[in-house]
Amino acid sequence: MAGGESSGHAPYDSVVTTQLEQRAQHRHSHEMAPKRPARSRVFWLVVGLVGLAAIVVARAATSGKSGLALPNQLQDLLTLSVSVIIESLPFVVLGIVLSIVVQVWLPDGLLLRYLPTRPVLRRAAISMFGIFLPVCECGNVPLARGLMLKGFTVSESMTFLLAAPIVNPITIVTTHEAFGFSGGILVARLVGGLLIANVVGWLFSRHPDQNSLLSPGFAEQCRMPDHDHGDSRWQKSIDIFVREAGVIMPALFIGAVAAGAIQVVVPRTVLVALGSNPLWSIVAMMVLAFVIAVCSNVDAFFILPFANTFLPGSIVSFLVFGPIIDIKMLALMRTTFTTRVLVQLTVLVALMSALIGLVVNVFG
Amino acid sequence: MCLAKARRILGIMLAATAIVTTIWLAVTHQLVLYIHPRYIVFTVIMAAVGLVFVIASFAVPAPRDESDEPKPRRLVRALSLVGIVTTLVIAIGMSVIPPATLTSATVSQRDINAMSVGANAKTVDAASAAPVGAFAKFSVLDWASLLRQTSDVSFYTGKPAEVIGFVTADPDDPQNVFYVSRFVITCCAVDAQPIGVPVYLEHWANTYTVDEWVDVTGQFAANPSRLSTLAVALNPASVTKIAQPSDPYIY
Repeated sequence: MAGGESSGHAPYDSVVTTQLEQRAQHRHSHEMAPKRPARSRVFWLVVGLVGLAAIVVARAATSGKSGLALPNQLQDLLTLSVSVIIESLPFVVLGIVLSIVVQVWLPDGLLLRYLPTRPVLRRAAISMFGIFLPVCECGNVPLARGLMLKGFTVSESMTFLLAAPIVNPITIVTTHEAFGFSGGILVARLVGGLLIANVVGWLFSRHPDQNSLLSPGFAEQCRMPDHDHGDSRWQKSIDIFVREAGVIMPALFIGAVAAGAIQVVVPRTVLVALGSNPLWSIVAMMVLAFVIAVCSNVDAFFILPFANTFLPGSIVSFLVFGPIIDIKMLALMRTTFTTRVLVQLTVLVALMSALIGLVVNVFG
Repeated sequence: MCLAKARRILGIMLAATAIVTTIWLAVTHQLVLYIHPRYIVFTVIMAAVGLVFVIASFAVPAPRDESDEPKPRRLVRALSLVGIVTTLVIAIGMSVIPPATLTSATVSQRDINAMSVGANAKTVDAASAAPVGAFAKFSVLDWASLLRQTSDVSFYTGKPAEVIGFVTADPDDPQNVFYVSRFVITCCAVDAQPIGVPVYLEHWANTYTVDEWVDVTGQFAANPSRLSTLAVALNPASVTKIAQPSDPYIY
């Protein structure tokens, strides 16, 4: 990140002037796309590569400097945040790539063509999409955004977003590895996730103005016609990558810091102490899921050590609630939905997860 | 510069930082400080894919239609400024602060040995049946699991131990008891669970400091400490300071 702005050599100024001139022209004639001249493209390519090299150099030069080490708590905050970022990064990239495939490379309407037309069945089918997509929740946000741009309604896309991280094949495998079929945990998780996604999708589908559910920025993007100024597919793909990275990366960084900070500040014993009460253990597990914000792909392994101290129903609540709602997800979903929708969504999903947990605790 | 454009530049900068850091950590074998080894291949492949997109984005002109966004309110602007500063601080920390393991601060936050015995932990039965030489290879995790299962001193006689870990103080008797501790990781550093073997050594803090890595040999015995709640502790024959191992976590 260092090189981008700071490398002010001679050619930099001239390019800034050309850019300014372009902007001026741009204001005069709005129809003309401001095509960057080839010279400027090469320049920005060089600047970008220098920037990348600067990160590598900074990283390599400082790696052995123990003088830069932070006090323990700050150091752990950084380690935890970086850990969340690095763990999520490949899934975010995969999600964006899949979103690009859906938006640019799949023929128009391919996904929509084979779906049932009755809304309830249609959402039920959409909630199963995730079975074919090994992407955890952080990668699903860009994908859900892509689906909306491709013609899915808001509630349909929300159904996908809620169900996909739970019915995703990796999640099923890891949950099975961790718990087998004991305590009905795996089955309750899958059924619970699908149920919540469909009920929430149905409730939001009854909203008269679907676009008002979206954050203004994203609603704007949806209203825009598929802008096709003869860009090649590759160019469009890169555009989408830049746009999605601009939305998702800051949210991921902020979510990671929040998750890290709460872990450094709130003692885990406080949560674990609540473990064995049928109701409080559920609440505690959901708070833990919210705070800890691990990916659905691996949350089963994470919660396994608690399986002896906590009732199975509370584990189910953790496994159903966590993939849908946590600190990181709220930050990511804020890019797409309004705060009001997120509050409603959080309350709804929390109540339903708690209910599913209670059912397992009482009847399981 | 309009907000949308700033956001795009920020996104690419953050993506570039995260991707380059990830690849650099992988090349220098330090990715294990943050994630479980089983994710390394997948992470590196996706980072490479991301890197291709990042580099391509430098050369591709930005699309035009982005100056029409309404100007956000002042509060929203202030909040997004705080957010941007936060992300930049983390990005700088990510690329400048030397990579490190979690420290004793997280151990005290998370309660050492709070984790229950995992599926593949050593059981008392299995350990009783093990040949004499096998105990030398038992890890901190193995001993910690055994200590959770039985505090019967006779079980430990004739089973010498050698454990490697970092020093954390026993909260009940910080003067005379310390833990040789490690973190157990199931997916990434976020879920690290601290485990440790207690060592009884009077006034250990005069010679060793918290977070220092040590290699301890000795024999388990009844814990002489009056303040500590632990029944059994390692009676050390030798405590050697060592460098942090390249794979500090246990999986």
